[in-house]
Amino acid sequence: MTIRNVRDHGQRFRPRMACLKKVESVMLEMQDPKTGVKSQPQRLVITTIPHAITGEDIVAWLTNCYSIETEEAWALGTMLVAFGYIYPLQDHKRLVIKPDASLYRFQTPYFWPAQQWPVEDTDYAIYLAKRNIRKKGILEMYEQVQYNSLHKWMNHKWDFIVMQAKEQYRAGKERKKPDRVVFDCQERAYWVVHRPPPGTVSAMDYGLERMVDPNTEEMIFTQQSIMRPRVKSSVSIGALVKYSVTYNKHDPFLAPCLPSNPWVTDDVTYWLLNMANVEIPTKMRVERWTFSFAELLSDPRGRDDFRLFLKKEFSGENLAFWEACEDLKWGTAATMNDKAQQVYKTFLTRGAPRWINIDGKTMEVTVKGLKHPHRYVLDAAQTHIFMLMKKDSYGRYLKSPVFKDTQKRAICPDQHMFSVSQLEANARKRRPSISPIIVRQLEQEERARMATSGPVDITQVMSKLSNKGKEVPPSKK
Amino acid sequence: LLSRLSVLLADSNMDREEFCKTMLDALNKVTACYRHLVIALGSTSDSQNLREELKKTRKKAQELAVANRNKLTELLKDKTTSKDDRAEYERLWVLFTSSMELLEVDMKRSLEIGQEFPLKVPTRHLIQTGMTGSTTTVAARAMSVQNMKYDADSNIDTADLKELQAEITQVGQMMEEMEMKVQVAPWAVEAKQEAGAELKSTLSVGNSSVGVISICEEDPKDEIDEGGDNNGMITCVAGFVFVAIVVIAGILGYFVIGG
Repeated sequence: MTIRNVRDHGQRFRPRMACLKKVESVMLEMQDPKTGVKSQPQRLVITTIPHAITGEDIVAWLTNCYSIETEEAWALGTMLVAFGYIYPLQDHKRLVIKPDASLYRFQTPYFWPAQQWPVEDTDYAIYLAKRNIRKKGILEMYEQVQYNSLHKWMNHKWDFIVMQAKEQYRAGKERKKPDRVVFDCQERAYWVVHRPPPGTVSAMDYGLERMVDPNTEEMIFTQQSIMRPRVKSSVSIGALVKYSVTYNKHDPFLAPCLPSNPWVTDDVTYWLLNMANVEIPTKMRVERWTFSFAELLSDPRGRDDFRLFLKKEFSGENLAFWEACEDLKWGTAATMNDKAQQVYKTFLTRGAPRWINIDGKTMEVTVKGLKHPHRYVLDAAQTHIFMLMKKDSYGRYLKSPVFKDTQKRAICPDQHMFSVSQLEANARKRRPSISPIIVRQLEQEERARMATSGPVDITQVMSKLSNKGKEVPPSKK
Repeated sequence: LLSRLSVLLADSNMDREEFCKTMLDALNKVTACYRHLVIALGSTSDSQNLREELKKTRKKAQELAVANRNKLTELLKDKTTSKDDRAEYERLWVLFTSSMELLEVDMKRSLEIGQEFPLKVPTRHLIQTGMTGSTTTVAARAMSVQNMKYDADSNIDTADLKELQAEITQVGQMMEEMEMKVQVAPWAVEAKQEAGAELKSTLSVGNSSVGVISICEEDPKDEIDEGGDNNGMITCVAGFVFVAIVVIAGILGYFVIGG
């Protein structure tokens, strides 16, 4: 039994595939005997099946009917095929329109994609069982995998599925031969759209279902938008443009990911090369560090590099303080008090071992807040230190030998060129990646190791020197 | 057919179970045929006749559904059944509800497509799907008759839709009632068939006797690759002979036991 109480919250009101209704009217127009698409019979070995249309006819019709360019008609035609309103008769797994003499056919209305008729796994199981009968047990690999998984989790319905499959198969035999061929093609095309074979993408993928009706949220939404501070659109659009231009080559959707996108080719080299503790980063990663200071700090490898630079300059306490604040913000509530006290003792108090240089007012506010510490008590100080590092150390870091050395050593991997069989082999070799528990353990070990390393701040160095009887150091900048 | 069956079978639990299985086979067959008919809606094989076939098949399905529901509810409400028997009845229940779900969805879709593609408009645009043959053999299979008789009015495509809407509500209500009355956990049912069971050409679930015998055919070649149709004829004849022998054996056996 399927759960029948899930209402399509919001999809009825603002369906994400509103284009489907429009496509249906296009389809109806195409059927007109006078002004529609010209059809021709498809000659098979024994039978002749009518109503086949060529790709070039479809594209030509779209160009004429809507007075658009050929490219746009081509894109529109591909959309019709990708949604499953028209299916290709040759090369049925590639849902594109080829503007040549390749043949297509219209799909029957029952198999049209529709917002309110979700594609049921029961139907897919019945289809696979029917296919199993027809192909005498030899299904394609991905179909076999799906079959096994459906058999496992739909086991309680399996008797029904077998019965229905047999009956539908026999009922299908009652029709004449050409109609049987057409029906098989139709059904196969339907499932290519809704259960795409591996390596292809489905046009029906529209993301997560909305669980909340957006219309009921409108009141709150409009109230909040009135209260929001406004920015001139020229400013905000300018910022968007700048962001897009900067990150254009770094977006895996817009530019190819080197060596290859693991989600597409199932090869995890990209992730391995970009891990947090990798010795030599990639060129793209290093370039991202130059975009903004926040980008540098948010990348763990970048932060390591920056820390190394600060160590050479003996001013690592700023970064250490910033990291301690982050730790406080994101840590568990139980350890908050202790952490806050530790931070105060290490960084803020007079004569602290790693004293940071913040202005008097911020110091006052922070010390007062620390009497009743909460998660965000160090926020003001953290922002101050962040701006300090950004304005001062960051600029010097980008010109420093540490960074230049990293930049020089950064690698740029070649793009992978996988053949189809290699892609299948990759898919078979997929394994789960390293467990986050292990990653966290490694991080903690790393942190412990760093804590026991030599002095990194000027105060520590100077205190060491002064302990050896040297003169009082000049005040730090 | 139904009255004949109810006269033939006595009222014991075993016979009730057999009756249920027979009815379920019939319902399963009608559901499958109905789906084939709905798939032809709106395409070039759509016609007055198809609309009438849909209506008749639907009505038959509803009759079978009601009969099934009554018998199954009786069986499941009986507190004196053994655990094995109860497990079997629950399995039959899952078969029944799954069939009904498919039927309900197909009925709703046929309403929608029927509304979108009326037949009697001057600029009628049926989708040129390549299917041009009639579906009367499929409907005949569903109704278990040799030939279909067509006697509907010419405005069946619009007149039938109102009835269809009412029937859909009826089916929905029936299913809700069923869920309330009978306490069955569908996910706890274990299937008897293992993976790949459809490859074995067995007859249907129960010992179906009167009117529900299905002939198995195996198509040796891939249809898209255009295999020959000669083998179909031979298996048809062989199937006929086989069925004739089974019927004769059944009749003789009935005489022996009943006599």
